Amino acid sequence: MRRRRNQVTIAAVAFALGLLVVVQLRTQASGAAFAGLSSQDLTVLVANLNARNDQLRREVATLDRELTTIDSNRQRGDASIDELRADLQRVRLYAGSEAANGTGVLIMIRGPIDGSAIEDLVNELRNAGAEAMAVGGIRLVPGTVAIGAPGKVTLDGRTVADPVELDAIGPTEKLTGSLTRSGGLIAQLAATQPDVAVEVTPVDRLVVPATDRNLVPVNGHPRL
Amino acid sequence: MNPLGWISRVPSWQLTLFAALLGLGFLVAAQLASEGPRVRYTSQERSPLVDTATVLQAQQEQLKAQILDLRGRIGATEQADAGSAAVVRDLNAQLLAARIAAGLIPLSGSGIVIQLDDSLQPVAADANQSDYLVGARDVRTMVEELWSAGAEAIAVNDERITPSTSIIDIGPSILVNSAYLAPPYQITALGPKDLYGRLSASPGFVDLIRARAQTYGIRVSFAEPESVNLPAFAGTVTLRYAHPEPSPSAAPAAPSASAGG
Repeated sequence: MRRRRNQVTIAAVAFALGLLVVVQLRTQASGAAFAGLSSQDLTVLVANLNARNDQLRREVATLDRELTTIDSNRQRGDASIDELRADLQRVRLYAGSEAANGTGVLIMIRGPIDGSAIEDLVNELRNAGAEAMAVGGIRLVPGTVAIGAPGKVTLDGRTVADPVELDAIGPTEKLTGSLTRSGGLIAQLAATQPDVAVEVTPVDRLVVPATDRNLVPVNGHPRL
Repeated sequence: MNPLGWISRVPSWQLTLFAALLGLGFLVAAQLASEGPRVRYTSQERSPLVDTATVLQAQQEQLKAQILDLRGRIGATEQADAGSAAVVRDLNAQLLAARIAAGLIPLSGSGIVIQLDDSLQPVAADANQSDYLVGARDVRTMVEELWSAGAEAIAVNDERITPSTSIIDIGPSILVNSAYLAPPYQITALGPKDLYGRLSASPGFVDLIRARAQTYGIRVSFAEPESVNLPAFAGTVTLRYAHPEPSPSAAPAAPSASAGG
């Protein structure tokens, strides 16, 4: 009888031990991917991943069509000049080598803003879907950075005078909402830099110039 | 007298039970420890969201691979026409330059790699724990400092920085090009051979090291390999709101107000 009771006790402990090993392994496996994200963070992440995947699917469809056209042109002996020109314009527009127009927001910044705060605004606008931007008439491309102390901002070595005009082409409502929402960047700026006033105006047609920077690296070569 | 002689007098089942309970205690402690500072959320409410995010992330990787494959095939097909008319050769050369400018072509060359990782220091009683973690602002500042020092192309982990890139916080991790990245963050920059010299001479870089590494223990390290490799941007370059603005020289001449009068 006593021997049987011991066996039952050992069996119960072994069961609990096995259960905990499984739970521990599952926790480590699933938690490792998104460690530290709360449910709210995960909801934001899922929304971002969904939006990005939709964009990627559209890009796959565009590239698929392009490849089909080029292939069929080649089979007919045509050179696909129209497709090459369209592709060139599409890529140059994205890169910032072509001037762009479209709907968007005009942001007037008055007062002694610093370079880092302008970069924060630009980052927020990009996250909200801005497609082409210019600060003080200078097109923003990789390598163009607003730097400097309050009231002494330069961009590509050129001084940006007060008031600073930031033009952003993109989804007007989303761009406006991202900046003006409660607790958003403009509210944060008002708290940290009270001398700076930021005004956001939706515009039907904005024009941003092409960059005058050389965007092809001289210290690297393509890895084709 | 053997000091451990008493063990031989203990029934073997009790020893087994003791060992099992010891293991049980260890596992309970491990389970609690794994829900430490960075993981403090119940798995019940997170589980479906983690599953969804995992599926979406896998889809994203698949779509990115598809895009890179399609771009490679389009490029190869276009280049196959390169032997034909001069206009096609010229367009192909322009297209390659435009794709390099847009970050659509992987690059190799001289440069540096900066790594940012969370602090290992204990959080001070009156401090905010997030100050001890690498945030989007740290990564953005480092990227901006690298551009200012003369970098010509930059990637954070496997995400290439392009004209549309945003870097934002998501909990204690970051999103770059809407891709989820967790620390350590490796920022690879292509640039002149003296890129690190220029970077370390920048007051902004010195301020960043002082404010984040020296104050909170954020771990900053760098490497100057023989050559750095930057991945291609595997995202969309098709703009929906921005359209090409006709250049003034290309526009047809407008008739003057007095013309035809």
